[in-house]
Amino acid sequence: MGELLMKNLTIRYGGAEVVSEFDLAVHDAEIVSLLGPSGAGKTTVLKAVAGLIRPQKGEIIIDGQSVQHLPPEKRNAVMVFQKSLLFPFMNVAQNIGFGLRMQGRHGREIRRQIDRILELTELTGLGQRKVHELSGGQQQRVSLARALVLKPAILLLDEPLSNLDANLRQQMRELIQDIQVETRITTLFVTHDQVEALMISHRVGLLLDGRLRQVGEPRELFYRPVDPDVARFFGGCNFIQGHVKNGMFRSEYGNAPAPAINGNGHLLTATIRPEDILITPESKYDLQGQVQKTNFEGSATRIWVQCKDTRFVILTSETGIFPGQKVGLHLPPDKIRIFPGGPESGEMI
Amino acid sequence: MKAFYRNMTAATMIAFVLLPFLVLIMWSFSTRWFYPQLYPAQWGLRAWQYVFGIAGSQIISGLIQSMLVALVTAMISVLIGVPAGRALGLYNFKGKDTISIILTLPVIVPPLCVAMGLHLWFLKLGLTETFGGVVLVHLTFCLPYSVFVMWGVFSNYNPDYEDQARSLGATSWKLITRVMLPLTLPGIMVAGLFSFLLSWSQYLSTLIIGGGRVTTLPILLFALMGSGDRPVAAAVSIVFVAPAFLALLFSAGYLGGRSITGVR
Repeated sequence: MGELLMKNLTIRYGGAEVVSEFDLAVHDAEIVSLLGPSGAGKTTVLKAVAGLIRPQKGEIIIDGQSVQHLPPEKRNAVMVFQKSLLFPFMNVAQNIGFGLRMQGRHGREIRRQIDRILELTELTGLGQRKVHELSGGQQQRVSLARALVLKPAILLLDEPLSNLDANLRQQMRELIQDIQVETRITTLFVTHDQVEALMISHRVGLLLDGRLRQVGEPRELFYRPVDPDVARFFGGCNFIQGHVKNGMFRSEYGNAPAPAINGNGHLLTATIRPEDILITPESKYDLQGQVQKTNFEGSATRIWVQCKDTRFVILTSETGIFPGQKVGLHLPPDKIRIFPGGPESGEMI
Repeated sequence: MKAFYRNMTAATMIAFVLLPFLVLIMWSFSTRWFYPQLYPAQWGLRAWQYVFGIAGSQIISGLIQSMLVALVTAMISVLIGVPAGRALGLYNFKGKDTISIILTLPVIVPPLCVAMGLHLWFLKLGLTETFGGVVLVHLTFCLPYSVFVMWGVFSNYNPDYEDQARSLGATSWKLITRVMLPLTLPGIMVAGLFSFLLSWSQYLSTLIIGGGRVTTLPILLFALMGSGDRPVAAAVSIVFVAPAFLALLFSAGYLGGRSITGVR
């Protein structure tokens, strides 16, 4: 059982406000990612939950109990750091047993638990190894095992994969997912890697400049960002402006139905993902543009197209497009996402 | 090239460390050895018989006295050095530079001045000719070293280990005993050893503050040397060096760059 509630957290570091009015709930057996660029205050939130930092304002509630006056060891929330931080003077099994021994437990009982957790984290047989004999991935798994063996109500993971290479990271993500499914441990996962956050979590919270900008299921943040900043974080780079009239968003690049928006006549901003724009070398579509630059990225090609006053970025699997070429563009109405707020001035790309 | 350097190291070791020792050992086993001769003209155990016989009880009490002074000094030096080094290495505060200058002062100022100056104060405080007074004056020379060693250790110390341990359920006390001390143990051993050896070899300050009442081994040694009996002085010197040498051997594993930089 593990429920984490963060209410109106405000955390200052030497005068500067690092996290402001932060509200987030993590439900039992859920894995929620806190996503954001470095310096956004993600780790600060995690440390506040773990009890290593005291927030200036707000409340942290674990399983219905307010914990901000409890020391870290009484919180039932264990943090795993970015660096594995294994104690070099202990072997793997001793490292994993550290927390259990801190609880005053000894002997056969903890040995059995250590063995079980070694198996769960695919470290069977490595219990007697010295820490420096392990690879980076193994070290990180020991670090994870050291927290899991305590069966905390809340598991706090602070970018545990960011020091690993790409292949290993993918394996570790899957391992964390599998373990989470098996143990149903409530997890708050901090990362700056959007792919990681989208893949691993039930819900994602995007933190920009210390403020939680949007919380929701991965698809929701990706396809329905609430504002241009969120869209930009997820690689959105095409912003167009238009007016809403009679439930229809109209711009010079394309129209889209906007039944829920009632800002009649106001200038609004909309976005479309680079992979959603249709592009063709033939003059099939009404919208015409000239290719400025292409970048081959493997499974897709990124194409910059100047079209009227806007430069669109398009991601396509089409391969026969070259700089200088005239192309036709189409912005499918159902892929255009209109931001409910006012327009964003001066930030057109 | 590597072999050359290794040989150089070995040669230097032999020339500057072992050769003087060899002469000392030869002196201690000689009964007659005059100037132009390369070897003693007559070998014998007279000096050693003297050291373990007539002067035996005196030397053993000196050995115990020296050991007590050095151990207590080293212990206090480490007890102060660890928290001081932690504060200087991990935190930034006003006056850090001033502190480092003050710390180096007893090392820079000639020991004689320090001991003479302190003597006046110790007289007023009634600390002269006492065990505590001698330990205190030794501490003025030992503390800079242990604080500087621990400062170095803690500037390379990652306090995240402690956050991790706290999150895993360690209380403040266990944090110190189960995490901080094991992580800094090599440095602590070096600081302790430095202090021990420094205190062990103090002569002048012991003489001035102890006033001849606290008879550590160096005080005895100088008295014996003054009598002009070279073989006896050599034998006592060996007795004097042996414990320090053993302490060094015992802690050899902790010495070297690893201990100063701490374990990461």
